[in-house]
Amino acid sequence: MIRAENVSKIFGSDPESALPLLKQGKSKDEIREETGQTVGVNNASFDIEPGEVFAIMGLSGCGKSTLIRCVNRIIDPTAGSIFFKDPEHGEQDITTLNAEQLRILRKRHMSMVFQHFALFPHRTVLSNASYGLEIQGRSNDERELRGQQVLDMVGLGQWGHAYPSELSGGMQQRVGLARALATEAEVLLMDEPFSALDPLIKVDMQQELKKIQRELQRTVLFITHDLDEAMRIGDHIAIMEEGRIVQIGSPEQILVNPRTDYVAKFVEHADPTGVITAGTIALPFESDAFESSGERDGIRYSHHRDHPQIRYGRDRDGRLRGVTIDDREVPMQQLEQVLDAAEGAEVSRLRDEVAITCSEETVLRRVLRGRLHSTLPVIVTTGDGRARGLIDDPELINGILEKRGHTA
Amino acid sequence: MGESLEFLRTLMNDPFGFLDIPVRQIITDIVNWIVANFRDFSRTYISPPVRGVMNSVQWALSSIPPGIFLIGIFLLGWWAASWRIAVFSIVSFALIGFMGVWDQMIITLSLVVTAVFFCILFGLPLGILSSRSDRFYAILRPILDIMQTTPPFVYLVPAVMLFSIGNVPGLIATIVFAMPPVIRLTNLGIRQVNSEFIEAAVAFGSSRRQILWKVQFPLALPTIMAGLNQTIMLSLSMVVIAAIIGAGGLGLEVYAGLERLNIGQAFVGGIGIVLLAMVLDRLTQGLGEKAPGVRHKAD
Ligand SMILES: Nc1ncnc2c1ncn2[C@@H]1O[C@H](COP(=O)(O)OP(=O)(O)OP(=O)(O)O)[C@@H](O)[C@H]1O
Ligand SMILES: [Mg+2]
Repeated sequence: MIRAENVSKIFGSDPESALPLLKQGKSKDEIREETGQTVGVNNASFDIEPGEVFAIMGLSGCGKSTLIRCVNRIIDPTAGSIFFKDPEHGEQDITTLNAEQLRILRKRHMSMVFQHFALFPHRTVLSNASYGLEIQGRSNDERELRGQQVLDMVGLGQWGHAYPSELSGGMQQRVGLARALATEAEVLLMDEPFSALDPLIKVDMQQELKKIQRELQRTVLFITHDLDEAMRIGDHIAIMEEGRIVQIGSPEQILVNPRTDYVAKFVEHADPTGVITAGTIALPFESDAFESSGERDGIRYSHHRDHPQIRYGRDRDGRLRGVTIDDREVPMQQLEQVLDAAEGAEVSRLRDEVAITCSEETVLRRVLRGRLHSTLPVIVTTGDGRARGLIDDPELINGILEKRGHTA
Repeated sequence: MGESLEFLRTLMNDPFGFLDIPVRQIITDIVNWIVANFRDFSRTYISPPVRGVMNSVQWALSSIPPGIFLIGIFLLGWWAASWRIAVFSIVSFALIGFMGVWDQMIITLSLVVTAVFFCILFGLPLGILSSRSDRFYAILRPILDIMQTTPPFVYLVPAVMLFSIGNVPGLIATIVFAMPPVIRLTNLGIRQVNSEFIEAAVAFGSSRRQILWKVQFPLALPTIMAGLNQTIMLSLSMVVIAAIIGAGGLGLEVYAGLERLNIGQAFVGGIGIVLLAMVLDRLTQGLGEKAPGVRHKAD
């Protein structure tokens, strides 16, 4: 949907002078020293799929705002191309558009949400929400109808006639979101939309955004300086440092496999329990921690060296066929069922002996919750039903503390 | 040796004797030239519209029965500001009437309204242009400085030469003197609009014109109203000076009272001007705060 190729932005009196130095791979400080120019964005490339949330994360001043503003050309990049594929015109290079084409792009295809909301203080909430429609030249009736619709969507249906100053920060940003949604632009640019909000309201808004995103499937470019937020919201995350994108990947890839020390430092304080999946941390049955404990009725049993009394039986296809403790059959149950059944019930210190199974995609948090209900390791199964491996305490602890799995 | 000492002595005692810049003559020549060449132009193209507006305003204001006028001013005060200001306004205007200078007040009010009308007519576009072009403002700025700092007495005479005696030269002098605040504060107001609002407008595809009228201008309105308020005050301060060259109204009361050493008459005119100024000031301030850009939680 949006593809950036080697986008650079240099601020200063003679931006071109710094380009050759960028090519040589000089750092921001070196370039400032040699040419007096400030590097905003340094050779950034990325590719955003339609319908995904692409988060850009980095410290203050690393060039996030500059990069997102290059996408709708509020800032003109010094070098590089940004391609936008829209259903009507096919792929076009945004950096080559003239003023009129740019206005059309902004009117119809891209909208924006700002860190400090940037609501027009002289307009009512409804008239703020429908500002983009006004610019599109829609009729009064249409504006009112659609404006009300998006306000309802963000839960502010009753506030249309209020002024922004009468609203709390969280509510104001809902209006900002409504304004951006109203134009039905395919691409939503969000520059730290929740950074100015209280932590609790922030989480609220993140959930709201995810809910709306599930319904509307916009393509979202989301800027944040909070890795947890990026991981909660982003399908992919790009990490920026001093104008450069140093790593792009899924939240779990970044968490498990930080490519540089800079990324690792962020990751160190991130909460992995909602990101890391069971498939990543499971100890595979193929690993040499397991030993065979014989075969019976066509089912092969194996056990972990440290717990020979617990045996896992799998058939020739690798499917789980039974779990025994000291040759006594133990009931098996899927994690989802265990958690559903336990919902609302008090946590018991007396855990059952149940062999819980879960899919590879299950996040760590749910596995942990499952462990509240059973003393046995959790068995991870693949999409086609094969038993893949075990999660026991060492795997859980390793996953939380080291953010690392066995495949890494 | 003695000669050069002598020279030094004269230089120190009278260094200005060596050069005579004939500014008086130059200015007189320039003014005479302007008067000779533009008198017809100004009397055919400038005087009639100014006089026309003045007469219409005066006709409209004086055709309102004073009782209705008082009620109107009360309601206006209420709508624009508060009931306190409404009471203050009606009492002030009633006082003017009781002092027997109602008709003069109407003339002065007409002069002010006319001057302010032309100040807005030219000042607003000039202010907007200034805000959009640094070069334009750089040229305009010294002209504004001259307009504001030249003592009005200096240009009264050329004004009379160009427009003859009466309300018109007084009005022209008033417009020249009172227009700069509208221009300055329109320019300032628009430039001061926070760039985040402009960026938001741009991000949604607004054109320059849409940004001006949908965002910048409405947000600049409180500042522009402050400029308007200053313009009104400045034009009121000109009414006595304008009376010297034949403008009527409260200013004439003051001027005539002084000429005849009739202190009472002069004071009545003066009090009338002060009351009128205070009411107009409160009303325009109230209007400025009413602009939606300055709306706060409290109201
Ligand atoms: N208009 C400008 N002129 C000169 N330098 C600029 C300009 N805008 C940004 N910069 C510089 O570019 C760099 C990147 O700034 P940018 O605002 O993109 O950072 P950011 O990642 O958005 O930071 P923050 O988290 O504080 O918003 C900074 O070093 C900044 O000083
Ligand atoms: Mg920023």
